[in-house]
Amino acid sequence: MQALLSFEQSPPLAAPLRFFLSAPLFVVLAGVLLVVDGGALLGSRWSPATLAATHLLTIGFMLQVMLGALIQILPVVAGANLARPALVAALVHPAINLGALAMAAGFLFAEARWLQLAAALLGLGLAVFLGVAGRAVFRVPSTSPSIRGLKLALLALAATVGSGLFMLLVLAGGWPVALPGLANLHAGWGLAGWAGVLLAAVAYVVVPMFQLTPGYPARPAWWFPPATLAALLLSTLAVVVDAGWLNLIGRLLLALVALAFIAQTLKLQVGRRRARPDATFRYWQLGLGATLAALLMLIVETLLPAGVVLPAEWTVLLGVLVLVGGFLPFIIGMLYKIVPFLLWFDLQHRSLPGKAVPAMNKLLDEPRMRGQLHSFFVAFALSTVSVAAPAWLAIPAGLALIVAGAWLAHNLLRAVLRHRDFRRAGETAKMPA
Amino acid sequence: MDFPAERTVDARYMEPPQPFVATMEMLDTLQPGEEMLLLLYREPHPLYRVLQQNGHRWQSELLADGTFAIRITC
Repeated sequence: MQALLSFEQSPPLAAPLRFFLSAPLFVVLAGVLLVVDGGALLGSRWSPATLAATHLLTIGFMLQVMLGALIQILPVVAGANLARPALVAALVHPAINLGALAMAAGFLFAEARWLQLAAALLGLGLAVFLGVAGRAVFRVPSTSPSIRGLKLALLALAATVGSGLFMLLVLAGGWPVALPGLANLHAGWGLAGWAGVLLAAVAYVVVPMFQLTPGYPARPAWWFPPATLAALLLSTLAVVVDAGWLNLIGRLLLALVALAFIAQTLKLQVGRRRARPDATFRYWQLGLGATLAALLMLIVETLLPAGVVLPAEWTVLLGVLVLVGGFLPFIIGMLYKIVPFLLWFDLQHRSLPGKAVPAMNKLLDEPRMRGQLHSFFVAFALSTVSVAAPAWLAIPAGLALIVAGAWLAHNLLRAVLRHRDFRRAGETAKMPA
Repeated sequence: MDFPAERTVDARYMEPPQPFVATMEMLDTLQPGEEMLLLLYREPHPLYRVLQQNGHRWQSELLADGTFAIRITC
């Protein structure tokens, strides 16, 4: 049999893995913030601790895993080869990690220098990534909905980074610019335009592949990414020309498009051919359920009559549902498929002809993933409830998040160490007697 | 799809790397110029690369239900 899956085209194993292994530590750090400053964190979306924790999760965890995964999957999903993936990873990885830490420190301690450092690190790191990934992706024709989605997601990432950098400089410089409207747009472009569209583009491939479901029907799959960006453009225009009704249409369109994607994914999962639900499937169910709840909250918020003021906790709860309930589970669920597969694939390539390679579950077994999944369920449940009773529950919720993040780090690191052991055993076997 | 079953690899519910293996195995049984059909819920870019390296031609079509129907010429 020929070399499986044209191994020589794959980026080196270390390029994506370094992102995957450092990302869970940011979940731990967000948990620490919840323990230390839970009252402030859960009381308002604008408190320094909330801004810090949000960006630990969105940049330190979500963005970090997504960039690492893209380095790995662009050749597979889009046939787009990144130039010098190892060098790109070596440049972008430290920039993202140090940038996320500097930003959290800048928010927490109200230090302009840290915010400027974060702007420099994240701006440079993401400029490198966007340049290299954009050059690779925009050169291939959009022959599938996934490729179209990847292109639009990269554009949305550029909008998120641009608006984020601007706000960091405003905060660091103390300029008199009102930020709430821009912050909402930044969150929309980041969560829906970048993370949501990227998730869909990847889901079109990995949901049928890993969960053995039917495929996403072609027509809605083509339309989901551009419809999401159209909704975001409407909301952006609404802020620019100060038209509340236009913002209402943009937000409703966004919510309906996202609901359609979730409903479609749930329908596919019903038709899956894998009888036993595994950890990834459970993680995706949690992600779909929590995002559904968050979208319903968004619709209610948008349709409320003028003059009705929602409590500050409303938006915090929405944020917890989207981040801790939605994106984190989607991403962890995918990590549990991607990491063992990459490690197994590497062993397969290195193995002697005719010699069996250890099965994937020898690298990371289901009971370990399931244990971590349960710890995450507890963390999610406590985080959600703690919005209503921060004085009682912020510390248990933070501790649970620390446990879930550390357990994830442990599981992934253990798989990497098992891979190293198997690889060494294989290399010993290759030596002449 | 008007294609004989014995020349079709329906890999839509197979886990990786089975679709790749099954396709390469079927190609091994074909004569130059003969065609086979691969059905998959994604575009197999890594397979395309190997097909190109081995001098095979292919044509891919996305059907309404999300299936990519890929005709490969040996």
